Formats: sequence, C-alpha cells, structure tokens
Amino acid sequence: MNSVELIGLDKHYGQYHALKSLDLTIEKGEFIVMVGPSGCGKSTLLKTIAGLETVDTGKITIGGKDVTRAEPGDRGIAMVFQSYALYPHMTVAENMGFGLRMARRPKAEIDVAVRRAADILRITEQLDKLPKQLSGGQRQRVAIGRAITRSPDVFLFDEPLSNLDAALRTQMRVELSTLHAELGSTMIYVTHDQVEAMTMASRIVVLNKGAIEQVGSPLALYANPVNRFVAGFLGAPRMNFIEGTTTEVGTDDALVQLAGLAPLRIALRQGATVKTGDPVTVGIRPEAFAVGGSKPASCPARVRLVENLGRETVVYADASPLVTSGSDTGTRNVTIQLGSAVAVAPNSEITIGFDPADAYLFGSDGATLTPAKPEIQSR
Amino acid sequence: MYPRAIPENRPLSRFAYGLLVALVLALWLLPLFAVIMTSFRSFDDVMAGNYWGWPSKIQVFENYAAVFQQSKMLDYFLNSLIITIPSTIAVLVLSTMTGFVLSRYPFPGAMVIFALFVGGNFLPQQIMMIPIRDLMVATGLYDTFWALILFHVAFQTGFATLFMRNFIAALPSELFQAARAEGASPWQTLIHIVAPLVRPALAALAILVFTFIWNDYFWAVVLTQSDAVKPVTAGLSNLRGEWVSQWNIVSAATILVAVPPVLMFFLMQKHFISGLTMGAVKG
Ligand SMILES: Nc1ncnc2c1ncn2[C@@H]1O[C@H](COP(=O)(O)OP(=O)(O)OP(=O)(O)O)[C@@H](O)[C@H]1O
Ligand SMILES: [Mg+2]
Repeated sequence: MNSVELIGLDKHYGQYHALKSLDLTIEKGEFIVMVGPSGCGKSTLLKTIAGLETVDTGKITIGGKDVTRAEPGDRGIAMVFQSYALYPHMTVAENMGFGLRMARRPKAEIDVAVRRAADILRITEQLDKLPKQLSGGQRQRVAIGRAITRSPDVFLFDEPLSNLDAALRTQMRVELSTLHAELGSTMIYVTHDQVEAMTMASRIVVLNKGAIEQVGSPLALYANPVNRFVAGFLGAPRMNFIEGTTTEVGTDDALVQLAGLAPLRIALRQGATVKTGDPVTVGIRPEAFAVGGSKPASCPARVRLVENLGRETVVYADASPLVTSGSDTGTRNVTIQLGSAVAVAPNSEITIGFDPADAYLFGSDGATLTPAKPEIQSR
Repeated sequence: MYPRAIPENRPLSRFAYGLLVALVLALWLLPLFAVIMTSFRSFDDVMAGNYWGWPSKIQVFENYAAVFQQSKMLDYFLNSLIITIPSTIAVLVLSTMTGFVLSRYPFPGAMVIFALFVGGNFLPQQIMMIPIRDLMVATGLYDTFWALILFHVAFQTGFATLFMRNFIAALPSELFQAARAEGASPWQTLIHIVAPLVRPALAALAILVFTFIWNDYFWAVVLTQSDAVKPVTAGLSNLRGEWVSQWNIVSAATILVAVPPVLMFFLMQKHFISGLTMGAVKG
C-alpha cells in the first residue's frame, strides 16, 4: 500500500511560487531523502506533508486517507525539527510523552512508550533531565524519541543532524538507519549532506526551485542523472562541466568538439534530440579523470591546488583551453579525484585524461543525451 | 560609549562618580525618608513645623495604632485587596490568552484588534471620566466593587496584551509547530507550553498591574463613594482633618499603604528566571 501520496501539490507564499505541482508516491517503509539547493522548498514540502502549512491546490494522502485539510495531529505523522524544538520546561520523559499525554492516553501506556523509545535511543539515564542539561547529540535523540513514542506511520525529518559535529553525525546516521530497519515505518528525510543522502535513502528526491527534478535510488541518480542539474548536485566533488559543440550527429553517437581536445565520439541515447552544430555540455565526474596519458582523451594541464585527504587526493588543474563551467570552486579548473594519496606537486605539468565512454552529454536545455550507464561499474 | 567603566587609574573621577550616585540616591529617597520620619513624630512636632529634623519624641506604635483607631483603614485595606487581587488575576489570564492568539494565529483583522489594544493605552484616561461614571451609574455598578474591577481589568488588559504578545512572539516558533504536529489543541498549547514559559513575564506584569491598580486614586474617587467600597488610596484622604491635618498619622498610613506593592515585588521575585527557554532549540 502507498504510504504517502502527493498529487499536484501547488503552493504560493504571496507571489512566490514555492511548490510547483509536485507528484510523488512513497511506499510503506521507504526511506525517502530529499535534497536540493537552499531555498528550493524542502522544508516547505515537509511542512505541507505535516500539515503545518496549507497547499493552494493538490491532494495529500497518508495511508490511503485524504489528509489534505486534516490537522497535523490527525495525520499519523511525527516531525523532527532541525532545531530540536524540545519543550524546555519539561523533562526528557515529559517531552517524549507529550503527544500521548495530549491525546489523553493512560499513564501506563505513556510510560511504556517512553521507556521503549528511550531504550532504542539509549537515553534511559537522561529521562529525568531537562533539555538544557543535555548535549547536542542527546537532545537530538530526545527529539527523535518524541517522534517514536507516538508510533506514527510516517516520520518527517528536517535536517535533523545538521547541528551535530561530524563524528556524532556519522553515529546518528547509522542509528537512524538501524532505527528505520527496526521500526519499518516510512521516513521522509531532508538533508544537505551528500553522504546522508547516498547512504540512508532507499530513494532520493532531488528538488529544485519548488519542483522535482528526479526521483530514484542513490546509485541510479548518481550513475544516470536525467539532467545537468541532478548530475551537478549529486557527487562531491562536483562533476566537471565542459562546454562544446557537436560537429557531427549520427544515429547512436555524436562527435563533440571541446577546446583543446581532439573531437570525442560520445554515445547518444535513443531519441536524443540534438543536431549538428548544437551547443552541448560534456560532464565528467572527477573520479573518471586519470593522471598520465593512459586514457583515450587527454591533454596537458598545470596543477593549481592539491587536496590530500589521505584516502583520496583531489587535484585542481588548469587545463586551458579546456575549461569547466559552474564549478564549486568558482574557477575554471578541472577537478580530478584520485583514489589514493598521490604525490602531485603544485604547479607541476601533468597530463590528464578520461575515457569518452565515462562522459555524460547534456543538451542546451540540460537534458541528458547519453544512454544509461551501469549503476555499479564492473572492473 | 555609555555606560563605560571608569578606569581604576582615575581616582578623582571614580570618587566624583560615587559621590554623584549617592547624591542622586539621597535626592530620590529624601521624600520617602521624610514621610517615614514624620510617621514617627508626635503631633506637637508637626504643629511646630519640624518636618525634616529629628523627631523630638519617637512614637511609632501610637501613630500606627492611631491609623486603625481613627479611621476605617482596615476596611479600606480589605476593599483594596478585594478590588486589586481579582483584577490583577483577570488581567494576567486575559492578556496571556489575547497575547497568545495575537502572536501565533494570524487571522484577518488581527492587526486591527492589536492596534485597538495598544491604542487604548494612549488615550488620556481623564477624558473618559464622565462617560465611564455615567456608564457605571446607568448599569447600576457605580459605587460597587465591580465598577473598579471592571474598569481596571478593561484598561490594564490593553497594555498587558501588548506586553504578553511581544513576549510570546519571541518564543521559538518551532515549539508551537512541534506541539501542533503532536496533536496539541490551541488550549493545550496555551496551558502546557505557553503558560510555563511566560512565567517571568507574568511575574513582572503582576507587579506592574498590581501596583497600578493598588495605587489608583483617580478612579477610586470617581467610581466609589461609600466607605464599604472605597479602596485605601481614597480612604487615606479621610484621615485629613477639616482644619488641621495630623500629618504624622497620615504619614504612617501612607507607609502602610505602600507595603503591599513592595511585598508583591518580593513575592514575585523568585519567578524572574532567565533562560527559561534554554535547551529548546539548537546547541
Ligand atoms: N513563511 C514564509 N513566507 C514566505 N516565504 C517563505 C516562507 N517560508 C519559506 N518561504 C520561501 O520559500 C522558499 C523555500 O523555503 P524552504 O524553507 O522550504 O527552503 P529549504 O529548501 O528548506 O531551504 P534550506 O535548505 O535552506 O532549509 C524560500 O525561497 C523561502 O524564502
Ligand atoms: Mg529547510
């Protein structure tokens, strides 16, 4: 059965079009992660599902019931806020039992639910403390515990881990995944964090300017983005985008001319609409680049910056006339990610190269023109 | 900028500062001091015009006992309590409710209602004297406790609403969203979330409103007549004789009248807790 269904959701804040006819079907037990640039409407969408914001048009069903106009408390949802939003004057136990107390459940039942949630989250010792006496990670757990006690059908998380430090974040990430496996409830999770999105999601929803760009499993989205936006959004460091033109378009491939490289033959998907002479963008993931002349398409470059992360090395190299556009760093350098610690000296001359089979081709409207790639690379 | 600490190496400035503080304090407290001293004096001192000097004879008990013997001060005191306590409670309850709704539920016309609450405070109350007196006479409430209670509740609630609205608006909005998402009704939110968190504001407001109503003289005179209803401020003037005033007795009564607001301050003080919302949001 479908757990959550959004049909044609549309919302304005005054003149501002915050959600643009969104459609999404979420199955029971799914872990949906919503990502998107800041201000794209993730929190707004979550709040409309929760019922804290109303929609202009469209329909929301939860567990098959139309809840478009229902009060948040009647929707079978529980929301965890980015800022925790714990009731400061109540103890941890009172915080966690609040929802049930408001629903006038018997005290014994509340106690059992609170104990159970506290056990799952390992905060049993903190039950009598006030929120201000807790650490950030413990507060976050209380906020999650408060959601668990009400045993909702759907959990809504709005960037729940963004206030935590890296170590705690990793720990909570694992705990949340475990919790999801344990409870089997539907979870909708908003995050800015690539790792959270890739590791926790059964499906990722990429939002942009109030509309859904693509929905799919993390690996599917990573390997086969439908457009340049999704390709650029998933993956850190970001995909290199290089502007070029087609010099020849065949039935299943095209010749693409990039500055500083010999023409590349890149495969086309069926029905790709591209003509000879069209401006196109070639996308190459940083890890698809190699240093040295081993790859079919290569050119000289000068190393500008090396980030040695131990496990991997990220090299920013100036390969002009081959230049990238819209990079994270704001420069026109090519980003190359190497699989291990590599000795690359800044300012040295290197040869970089890639295999055109690993490249993506995007049309002038941003749509992907290359055929689907395998989600798991066989080596 | 001001206030800037005076550096240690400027002893002269520091001395001047201390002196000025003492001077201002003395000026400020001088009238109070004179009243207290006079309440210890004998009537002879008063007749002799010894208002500022040391009393020639200290008669604390005589004077303070006289307050209760020569007038119905005890009755007036009770009247004042009967008027002030319910009024204060009603103002606190009403303004918490109006403040909550006005700060958290944007409904059409909310701004207009809020403006009316605030605007009412700017009207000089004196211009309403005749209409309100007429209203109370017409409704048969003139010279009853209800006249003063209703008037004070109506007029204090305006200012109190402004105060409470702003205080509640400053609470983290996620708390209200969280409560709503957990199925709490507006009433439940008011009782379980708002009320505990506005305690410091209510304490401050309680002192202000209590003092204001307790000290009111103008409306007490306008709206009451009989001794059975008159609050202590109006009753105080009964102590003044027709030809000569026993200022020592009047002073003693004045000191007694000032006691409840001061008590109120100490009673409420333990509710002035800062950081009540600590731990609610973020780190
Ligand atoms: N109450 C509001 N009134 C008017 N505009 C709003 C309101 N809430 C959000 N918006 C606008 O709607 C857009 C989406 O906001 P939203 O909070 O959903 O973004 P977001 O995707 O959650 O961003 P972030 O990642 O920064 O949290 C923003 O442009 C914001 O300015
Ligand atoms: Mg947000």
